[in-house]
Amino acid sequence: MVVDTSLLSSCAKAASAAEARYRIDRPIAPSRAGRVVALDAGAADVLARTAQLEWANARFYVCESAGEDAESVLLRGIDGGPATLADELASASVVVMVATSDAGADCAYALGKACWERGVQTAGLVLGDGTDEGTAAAAAVAALRPHARVLLPKADESDVVELLSALRV
Amino acid sequence: MLRREINELLTQTGPGTPMGELFRQYWFPACLAEELPEDGAPPVRLKLLGERMVAFRDSYGRYGLIDEFCAHRGASLWFGRNEDGGLRCPYHGWKYDTTGQCTEVPSEADNSSFAENVKLTAYPLVKIGDILWTYMGDPAKQPPLPEYEFALVPPEQTYTSKRWQQSNWLQAFEGGIDSSHVTFLHSGGLKSDPLFKGAKGNQYNLNDTKPFFEVADSDGGLFVGARRNAEEGQYYWRITPWVMPNFTMVPPRGDHPIHGHFWVPIDDENCWAYSFDYHPVRALTPEERQAMIDGHGVHSKNIPGTYRPVANMDNDYLMNREKQKSGEWYSGVEGIAIQDSSLQESMGPIVDRTKERLVPADSGIIKARQKLRKAALALRDHGTTPPGVDPKHHHVRSAAVVLPQAEAFLDAAREDVTVRPGMPVSSV
Repeated sequence: MVVDTSLLSSCAKAASAAEARYRIDRPIAPSRAGRVVALDAGAADVLARTAQLEWANARFYVCESAGEDAESVLLRGIDGGPATLADELASASVVVMVATSDAGADCAYALGKACWERGVQTAGLVLGDGTDEGTAAAAAVAALRPHARVLLPKADESDVVELLSALRV
Repeated sequence: MLRREINELLTQTGPGTPMGELFRQYWFPACLAEELPEDGAPPVRLKLLGERMVAFRDSYGRYGLIDEFCAHRGASLWFGRNEDGGLRCPYHGWKYDTTGQCTEVPSEADNSSFAENVKLTAYPLVKIGDILWTYMGDPAKQPPLPEYEFALVPPEQTYTSKRWQQSNWLQAFEGGIDSSHVTFLHSGGLKSDPLFKGAKGNQYNLNDTKPFFEVADSDGGLFVGARRNAEEGQYYWRITPWVMPNFTMVPPRGDHPIHGHFWVPIDDENCWAYSFDYHPVRALTPEERQAMIDGHGVHSKNIPGTYRPVANMDNDYLMNREKQKSGEWYSGVEGIAIQDSSLQESMGPIVDRTKERLVPADSGIIKARQKLRKAALALRDHGTTPPGVDPKHHHVRSAAVVLPQAEAFLDAAREDVTVRPGMPVSSV
């Protein structure tokens, strides 16, 4: 095989530590407009604490009631202000759902469906031991599974912070 | 995205670093058994976790892993003469046994006890399967020997190779739990590689390029489940186990041997990728073994006499734009192992994770980093033994299964991801 010699000046050698200093170094803007939604009261407590941390673009909500479509799904901001899911999804690029029980199963379905229709990425975290059958957390896992592109059962509060940090929301 | 200090924490494995100390809690591969093929074989230079050593097999068949440099004047013992139960420095004749104990200092008087007070740092070196394993931690805390299935099945059922990767261990390892790249980077291999092709599961892979992921804790690390649509009402699940800190397996395909990796830090800018294939219930066929030797599947074609891949960064991995264009090799690089290493090395020796833009599909990687960080800090601050040290944690398998949509993958596949000696893997 003939190697394309034009590559020699632009090849993987540029990945050396010495060459790394020539990489373009510009600040990275937050890449995700994240909406973080608690699906039940236990999750709302966790998000109330999480929201106190410093975030670039994230907004934190509790899902108050599900509905047939995004316009009728009511959210309440962690700071108390009302919002509709439709409005929030208009500017969102990722929705992270947090649950501790299956109390928010209807909300999970409504959020998952609305995100799917709009091409908004979803992730779900279930706090507690979501693999022990019969527990509230296990029910939450079952409720979230069809609607979250990524699901983390058996998560804890630090997982919420870790995921949101990694996503740069 | 990781903060700079966390990136440094996870990527630095030298002595005294938190991750270095974490690695020093485990048995891990030091070299292949084939590198010391007989009693009295030439010694092998090794660098592991930033420490330079020589491995040798003395004339009585004992294995040793000791400081590379003679205590006298600092000459490399790679030049040593492996003779009569020890390794002798050819400079002035000082001799060491496999425990690092100096046994002879020829310039001293015959009745001198000087040699008794000279001892090089040494680590245990134990052969299990095709691998010589070492433990570089506190001897008082040495855990039981590893019990990974690939190393315990009969020799005719297993094959292990290794290759040098010019990147930090973490970015190599992260590829091992990143199921979503397979559909793209390795799409050509799913159709043509002799150790991958022909499985029904490949079609599910190729038909559904947007898998859903579930990341679940295990006793020793994680299970990462990737689910794709299968027949009506069913999902095809590919389940990847990770045992902390650096063991991963690839979900199987059909009746092909099952494979996986160990990712071992050499220093902060280089690592060894150990790649294994085994079949729990039958011998590898001559064709399968030859395919592995030839660098198919997860193995690599190495420069003869070395563990450096033929396709490497000095020759642009023999990039072939025609094959890239035709899709035969999606990235234009041949072979699954080098497809991975080429991209991981292209990130730089230690990728700057403050600049990355992760997506929810990267949750396995996010969770693994978190677990590594927590374990390293718990060890440093509280002396907590990390997950994966207990040999029971090694009894895992990857699996590829079709399950009803309502089933939770770990509930339904608990047995499938557990080693059951003499039982086949669960594969589609």
